[in-house]
Amino acid sequence: MIYIDNLRKEFKKTVKEPGIKGSVKSLFNPKKEIVKAVDGISFDVPKGEILGFIGPNGAGKSTVIKMLTGILTPTDGKCEINGQIPYENRKKYVKEIGVVFGQRTQLWWDLALRETYAVLKEIYEVPDKEYHERMEFLNEVLDLDSFITSPVRTLSLGQRMRADIAASMLHNPKVLFLDEPTIGLDVVVKDNIRKAIQKINAEQGTTVILTTHDLSDIELLCKRIVMIDKGKLVYDGQINNLKHKFGQMRELAFEMKDEGDISALDYASAFNFDEDDLSVKCKGVQVTVRFNSHKASVQDILKYTLGKIDVRDINVKDADIEEIIRRIYKDGV
Amino acid sequence: MKRAFRLHRIFIAQYLKKLMEYKVDFIVGAVGFLLSQALEILFIGIIFSQIPDLAGWTFNEILFIYGFSLIPKAIDHMFFDNLWMVGYHIVRKGEFDKYLTRPINSLFYVTVEKFQIDAFGELIMGIILITYSLIQIGADIVWYRVLVLLLLVPFAVLIYTAIKIITSAISFWTKQSGHITHMFYMSSDFSKYPVTIYNNFIKVVITFIIPFAFTAYYPASYFLRGENGLFCVLGTILISSLLFVVSILVWNRGVKKYESAGS
Repeated sequence: MIYIDNLRKEFKKTVKEPGIKGSVKSLFNPKKEIVKAVDGISFDVPKGEILGFIGPNGAGKSTVIKMLTGILTPTDGKCEINGQIPYENRKKYVKEIGVVFGQRTQLWWDLALRETYAVLKEIYEVPDKEYHERMEFLNEVLDLDSFITSPVRTLSLGQRMRADIAASMLHNPKVLFLDEPTIGLDVVVKDNIRKAIQKINAEQGTTVILTTHDLSDIELLCKRIVMIDKGKLVYDGQINNLKHKFGQMRELAFEMKDEGDISALDYASAFNFDEDDLSVKCKGVQVTVRFNSHKASVQDILKYTLGKIDVRDINVKDADIEEIIRRIYKDGV
Repeated sequence: MKRAFRLHRIFIAQYLKKLMEYKVDFIVGAVGFLLSQALEILFIGIIFSQIPDLAGWTFNEILFIYGFSLIPKAIDHMFFDNLWMVGYHIVRKGEFDKYLTRPINSLFYVTVEKFQIDAFGELIMGIILITYSLIQIGADIVWYRVLVLLLLVPFAVLIYTAIKIITSAISFWTKQSGHITHMFYMSSDFSKYPVTIYNNFIKVVITFIIPFAFTAYYPASYFLRGENGLFCVLGTILISSLLFVVSILVWNRGVKKYESAGS
């Protein structure tokens, strides 16, 4: 479905020295610097998959998405989607994809939402019958009815995002690109949007490329993730593998009998933990200990804890994807 | 082509709906334009109250050229006004992304999105001036010249549009080019008067380089006096077509250079 081979994008940037003097200098003698936003990325996506495409801010995610959607022309490398090359035959290509940029609406600011869809119907040449079916489906999934007559500028962020997703699905695209579709949304709306994405994927077989900073999106929607950093691919594989491979941080939560008991516990010196290997949070009698399970087994930590203090309740948590990814962003793979 | 017109109609209809939401803005815009035009004509009137003719052109003939110059300008203004925004902020802020994610030509999409109804002011003013000056001149109207003049209007529009396309496409390289567009567009003021009143340098510039003279003076002078038909008529058609082709090429190259903006 999607093949990406050694994709690169370089931007030329003029380096300016600070102040007016620097600006004048750069006007006559510009110092150009090449920034490698995307530096040789390859991966494939099979049909019908929801792929989580993640990376820290400035990693080059949006640049990749923009190349895949035909907005930017790659400096080098190849990408092929649906057997088409996005930047070569843009008009034909974009008919088969849907794009949502969470940060920026693609709807017409002053039009009522219903009118927006009518215009899109014309742009994508969707036949009447199909249009009504699609609207019915999208209305059911995204619950558009309550605001379909309002102008786009009056919509709340959550409504607008739902409207944007519906707009991108109107022409039944084979691939849907969602660039941060849950940004700035509250928990309930996020949940609705995730369910909608799942439903669209399941019922229409749409391949979805999802970028997000909310890792619960990824955990709930994707089986596979591709992670990039500084323009390079750092991980491509199943989330489960990632947990297995990097899930060394485990979490132990317990409730002490007495608030003062915490002073009896000194994990750092008992197990020789570094600063990165351990975090202890204590709130009244509730304690959460995060530790590196490669350095000390869960069993040992349990034994040590139970041996030192009296505990009312204890609970070991599975590796948390968020923690794993935080570590990868920080230290690399 | 048929689809393009259909889309255009739909966008205009949507635009009119939007207009109804911002009525005050529209009225202020239209009144402001009429006032500024009236002042300018008053100014020409004052000049001609002192001198009987200018480089062989009478007041009424100049009024005709002036009036005719407003017609292509108004049509361009009406349909292709959004190009200004490309140079001012659409490219710089990365808003051009959205024009590239739709299965229609990006240039068509940008221009079709806005319909500038204020331009009706210019159009009506132009028609009034043309009618008034023709009545004053009292000349016999040569009918085939009327047809030729009408035929030349779309080509004259093309000159305005092409210059705006080229200058706003510069923003694909420089991120912002609204001021360049402004600079070139302002030179269209030269076309409101007979080219013969300018020195050779300006004459060459507005004939061959920024060919605004073909948007008004050449077609209008042919209509009024029937002289230099070949140069005036064919020149308008050729120069405008050439410029338009160049503008499309520049635009397409620019789109390939588009860098979007961080999000």
